[in-house]
Amino acid sequence: MTAQFAKAEKTSEAVGNGFAIQVSGLTKVYPGGTKAVDAVSFDVKEGEVFGLLGPNGAGKTTTIKIITTLAKPTSGSVSVFGMDALRMPEQVRQMLGFVPQAISVDGDLTGYENLLIFAKLFFVDREQRKKRISEALDYFGLTDRADDLVKHYSGGMMRRLEIAQALVNRPRLLFLDEPSIGLDPYSRMQVIRQIRDLNRNFRTTIFVTTHDMTEADELCDRLAIMNLGKIAASGSPMELKRSVGGDVLTVTVSGPLPDSVPKDLGTLVSADGGKVKILTDDGEKAIPKVTDYLEGKGATVVSVSLSRPTLDDVFMKYAMADLRDGSFRDTRSARRSISRHGR
Amino acid sequence: MTYPQRALGSALTIAEMEARKIRHDSTELWMRTVQPALWLLIFGEVFNNIRSLPIPGGFSYIQYIAPGVLAQSVLFVAIFYGITIVWERDVGLLTKLLSTPSPRLAIVVGKALAAGVRGIFQGVMIFALSLIIGVNLRFDPLDVAGVFLVVVLFAMCFASLSMTLASFLKTRDRMMGIGQAITIPLFFGSNAIYPISLMPGWLQAVSAFNPLTYVVDAMRSMLLTGDYSGLPTDILALLLSTALFIACASVVLKRLIE
Repeated sequence: MTAQFAKAEKTSEAVGNGFAIQVSGLTKVYPGGTKAVDAVSFDVKEGEVFGLLGPNGAGKTTTIKIITTLAKPTSGSVSVFGMDALRMPEQVRQMLGFVPQAISVDGDLTGYENLLIFAKLFFVDREQRKKRISEALDYFGLTDRADDLVKHYSGGMMRRLEIAQALVNRPRLLFLDEPSIGLDPYSRMQVIRQIRDLNRNFRTTIFVTTHDMTEADELCDRLAIMNLGKIAASGSPMELKRSVGGDVLTVTVSGPLPDSVPKDLGTLVSADGGKVKILTDDGEKAIPKVTDYLEGKGATVVSVSLSRPTLDDVFMKYAMADLRDGSFRDTRSARRSISRHGR
Repeated sequence: MTYPQRALGSALTIAEMEARKIRHDSTELWMRTVQPALWLLIFGEVFNNIRSLPIPGGFSYIQYIAPGVLAQSVLFVAIFYGITIVWERDVGLLTKLLSTPSPRLAIVVGKALAAGVRGIFQGVMIFALSLIIGVNLRFDPLDVAGVFLVVVLFAMCFASLSMTLASFLKTRDRMMGIGQAITIPLFFGSNAIYPISLMPGWLQAVSAFNPLTYVVDAMRSMLLTGDYSGLPTDILALLLSTALFIACASVVLKRLIE
């Protein structure tokens, strides 16, 4: 046991197959037969921000619980930095930071004490402890309130303290389950910025679940959309958005309307009532070309507007499709188109 | 760090967490001393006047029940400890604790020790009260230390039992119910407020399996009689049941968050 642990500590810097998490064929059936997670497989690369999205009840929290060794899967395998999470749970937890969905700092202790207890529970040695706690308080702007009981903190401060708490052990992999739930826009922005900084400055791999699509778009390098216990689609936010359709340019013109547009500009959707709609891959780049083309045909461009698909559209397509008609074909073809876009 | 070092370190940290909370706000502990105080001041004083109880060793009734009241008040603190655990589960604190590399066993032992800390507070209060109202106990330092040791073990024993029950019952309401259902038979089925010799035969047999009986016997031998002949049996019975319940709680605790 001891030798194993020492090895884990030593290798925690050295292990490097490039993957922070590898999940394969993960299934969790709760007593009563509910299949919360159904043969899920995915990888998270070291150093990336990975988002797991999906509607309530999709199986996101169960997936996190299994990876963080808080629950046992019915079948499947999980490895964290190449280490088997089912066989070495304590060693795996030593490398993780976990911020659960509900705010769970201890209101009956001070901010300082919350950090102190967790530093101790992660076996951070005495000399390091003081330094890390004061750094964490400082980094999250909580130094002034460190000796106040946490129950007198605001929601945003509690959330920040919570993330600080998950960082005292300098985790290589940080889990955030709905990190911005219940925060006002300003606190939300602060939390998002701090998560991104962590990823950039310390190369902490971040695994975040959310159903806020704007947040996912801002934050994540790669996403997976989970629905009914399965991964419905995965890819970078850009890839996923492309998969639901290109950008739409709406150009208001006075003068002659075109019957068609050259292929390299995109596809003409409609042209009537002084408005021309063009579907294109990259709307921003197409604006000057389309403008030039239309003016070359003798029309005057009055205004141009660009609408791009958002992650909301992606979410609706992949997560809600099954809810609507219960067909899995949709999901499968979606996955094919994503993998095509991915290459 | 070796496994025992890490386990002990974690357990002490969790107990420290509780001690710090008590330092910030000890209202609950003060309130909890009201009940044992009433037992001594009202029940004890009234029954002190009934001379017909066959109390061995010629002690007064209030002397006789003082150790019993102490044991009972610790029992009350410990048996409802599962409610604290369920509450901690509800607000996410338990998930957070279990996501640390601390061994499960250490978390259970730490929580049980925390109940012990509360038990010590009860002990101090009851000793103080006994001094004030003039209950004549043997306040020999070694005996008092021994009593505190028994208090801590006993609190750990029933806090672990309570955590085990909480892992199956999972809600605060049910824990309230089961707590009530357990304490009364434990208390009245023990030697806490009357000698076992007064019980009907079947109840005497049952009380031999009641940990409270051994606890009260140990406390009484240290605080009252100075006769340590039964002490090894008492401590052994207490140690065994504590180890058993701690082991149970360590295995089943994760049910609470699944």
